[in-house]
Amino acid sequence: MATIREKGYTHWDGKLTERRFPWWPITRTGIQLAFRKKRFKFVFAGAFVPSFAFLASLYASERLEDFKAIVQSKEALINITPKYFNAYFTLPFFLFLILLVLAFAAAGLIADDLKHNSLQLYFSRPLRKKDYLLGKMSVIFFFVLILTAVPGLVFIIFKLIFAGSFKFFLDYPWLPLSILGYSALLTVFFAFYVLLLSAWSKNTRYIMVLVFGVYLFSIILHGILQSIFKTPFVALVSILANLRQAGAFLFGQKLPFAVPAIWSFAVLAGICVLSAVVLNWKTRSVEVIK
Amino acid sequence: MTAVIAATNLSKWYGNVLGLNDVTLEIEAGITGLLGPNGAGKSTFMKLITGQMKPNIGTVTVRGRKVWNNPTIFAGIGFCPEHDVFFEDVTGWEFVTGLLRFYGYSGSVIKERAARALDIVELTKDKDRLIRGYSRGMRQRVKFAQAIAHDPEIIVLDEPLSGLDPLGKRKLIKLIKAFRDEGRTVLVSSHVLPEIEALTSRIVLVHQGKILAQGDIPYIRELIEAHPHMISVRSSDPRALAACFVGDRSIQKMSFSPDGRTLVVETHKRDDFFGRLTGAVLEGGIEVEEISSPDDNLQAVFEYLVGK
Amino acid sequence: MNARKSIGEIFGFFFFLGRRTGKTRVFALLGLVPVVLAIVVRAALHGRSGDMAAVFTEILMVFFLQFYIVILSLFYGTSVVAEEIEGRTLSYLITRPLPKPAIVLGKYAAYALLMFLMVAVSLSLSFFILNAGRLADPSLYLKFFGYLGVLGLGILAYTAFFTFLGAVLKRAILVGLVFGFGWENVIQYFPGSTQKFSIVHYLKSVLPYRPTGGGGGRLALLLFKLEPTAPAVAVLMLAVVAGVLLALACWFFRMKEYLYEE
Repeated sequence: MATIREKGYTHWDGKLTERRFPWWPITRTGIQLAFRKKRFKFVFAGAFVPSFAFLASLYASERLEDFKAIVQSKEALINITPKYFNAYFTLPFFLFLILLVLAFAAAGLIADDLKHNSLQLYFSRPLRKKDYLLGKMSVIFFFVLILTAVPGLVFIIFKLIFAGSFKFFLDYPWLPLSILGYSALLTVFFAFYVLLLSAWSKNTRYIMVLVFGVYLFSIILHGILQSIFKTPFVALVSILANLRQAGAFLFGQKLPFAVPAIWSFAVLAGICVLSAVVLNWKTRSVEVIK
Repeated sequence: MTAVIAATNLSKWYGNVLGLNDVTLEIEAGITGLLGPNGAGKSTFMKLITGQMKPNIGTVTVRGRKVWNNPTIFAGIGFCPEHDVFFEDVTGWEFVTGLLRFYGYSGSVIKERAARALDIVELTKDKDRLIRGYSRGMRQRVKFAQAIAHDPEIIVLDEPLSGLDPLGKRKLIKLIKAFRDEGRTVLVSSHVLPEIEALTSRIVLVHQGKILAQGDIPYIRELIEAHPHMISVRSSDPRALAACFVGDRSIQKMSFSPDGRTLVVETHKRDDFFGRLTGAVLEGGIEVEEISSPDDNLQAVFEYLVGK
Repeated sequence: MNARKSIGEIFGFFFFLGRRTGKTRVFALLGLVPVVLAIVVRAALHGRSGDMAAVFTEILMVFFLQFYIVILSLFYGTSVVAEEIEGRTLSYLITRPLPKPAIVLGKYAAYALLMFLMVAVSLSLSFFILNAGRLADPSLYLKFFGYLGVLGLGILAYTAFFTFLGAVLKRAILVGLVFGFGWENVIQYFPGSTQKFSIVHYLKSVLPYRPTGGGGGRLALLLFKLEPTAPAVAVLMLAVVAGVLLALACWFFRMKEYLYEE
């Protein structure tokens, strides 16, 4: 057998070892790529505006006499109770901003891999499908948790600092758990939701439209069905309504719609299951061309 | 000969990166090979002469007419892009006929030209299949078909042989040469030296945005005085042959091949050497089996020029 | 080839291509939602024509005017230029003897017609299903064409805006989303002349429907806080906006260099 005298390229002669967290390089790259996009930093910073607004009102709640004239009508924003946190986490504008950040940072997570046939490259490495998907999801986890759990916990810390006592925490000791629980729910739901759409097409622009389109369509459909049928159960078609129901439940508030919260959790879970099925089907290492 | 394509002090920046550096070049009728490694500036030059980009400095003209924002000149130019991309969900036939519509032909002329172009690239049988189901080579051929369907006088081909199997490459090379024989101008870019050598002897060497050399391969080789010519002589008694030249001051270096049957000589005065070789063979009665110039090829020329 | 013929050929090619893509099928299916709702409502309301007419004007028109035409225009409008850059097919077009503005105008026209057909089918079916009891009334058809006209104008204006964004910006879709579903949704409810800085204000001003004295009842969402512009002025404004934005899009497309992302 002839020997190869000149390979023309160099092999690495070291030993290949399996990484402890094989999904981590995917996550790290996804986050870096998002920050490289020119306007993304602006959009991401903008998504913190509601948290700063709520933080400001948190401060104002401790200085009520000073701000009385301005905030007389804004009762929900100056009485810092779990209702305040529920208001922040389920604010429609805030959820819109999260979607904007994800449209920018995450719409192409799987779509770009499908477009450039990169799945074969990924799966020819010692990487399982679940590592690949976990890596992609973790990009979304990063951005959503930074916008939800972090501000939520920071609000509690600042409340305690501005109040100068632990009374608030003693009154609502379960609140940090609610914040973490609802943040986790938002994070997991948006991860499945955005990746479901990202796996749908190779065209990132189309996916960005779908990310907003499906969300807004569900809200409009809810409005239309509510006007026609006047039953609270139609709220289950709206992603926003289901998120608000889940939030109210987790923060111990009155549910915005007269529908058992378990149904909203079921709808959100159903979307996640559908997403898992589609993702499992779409992330194959071999492309079938008809 | 009048230049078909002329670039004068052509420069192009991508932000802070210089893509093309003060290029002055004239391309005449026939096949011209644009050769250089990846990132040399070949595609940048092709995009400038096909009006896809605007020069930052300098001008580029086709038959004396400026290119940028001058769509009328494209009636006589065919371009085959480097990227393997097509409109979504079209068949080969729809792709070629669709693009032919933009020349103002009637329906029957479009069909006739499309059929001819697809026949030339041997895709008639597969013309009604979706392009996304084509093999790489078929996709390359259908790209070529759209570039030639309107019978252009000038054809610009950006890496046309990439992705083709050896048989496909041969067929396309034959086709390109046929266009040259019809009097058309063909500009072909590649980073694969044997491909360019097979197509043409007239080359333009590009490296780091600059033109290193232009002309035919032996002519460029002659210009590279810094590097002595390498001549390989296979004979029955190479050592006896070497003894004839040991005292010759024009010989820089002599060596023997591993099998001991070939003498390799490096000399600045190639013609003198051949003259003396003839004499040495006759006087010494040495049998010469083969004479060749290992570095009289594009690879060696290119390596000498880029200093690798 | 002259400019008019060039526009015509581009129009023909991209109308043909646009009809066949999977995305068009998805958007067309989305247009069936109001049709399904119309059927369901008709069955639920047992043919009470007054209520059904109200459902159309005050509910389904929200879907068409504030969602469907916006999302269609956003996708197809930005696609006029962005699609060719993302797909790297721009080389095939600008190396043909076609004036560059003809490419923009031809694609714009092709996609506008495609969207208009999708909207027209959806609107026709849902409108006539809900108004099936009044088919003998000639004023019904005037109203229908009025609604169709408003949506047509909306398609032309929005698509022109998004075409302009697509010609100028790299990430036009995000700016478009913020404009179409942020700005347009919020600004129209601001009192005074700030409303006039939106396309939807002018579209609502020409709707063939005005609420009765009581303010349109509980469902006058479409016309909530509307301080309408005179219909003739509104149509003129929409035409001017569309014309100016298209002209700017053509100018940018002609002058700008579009580089593919490597």
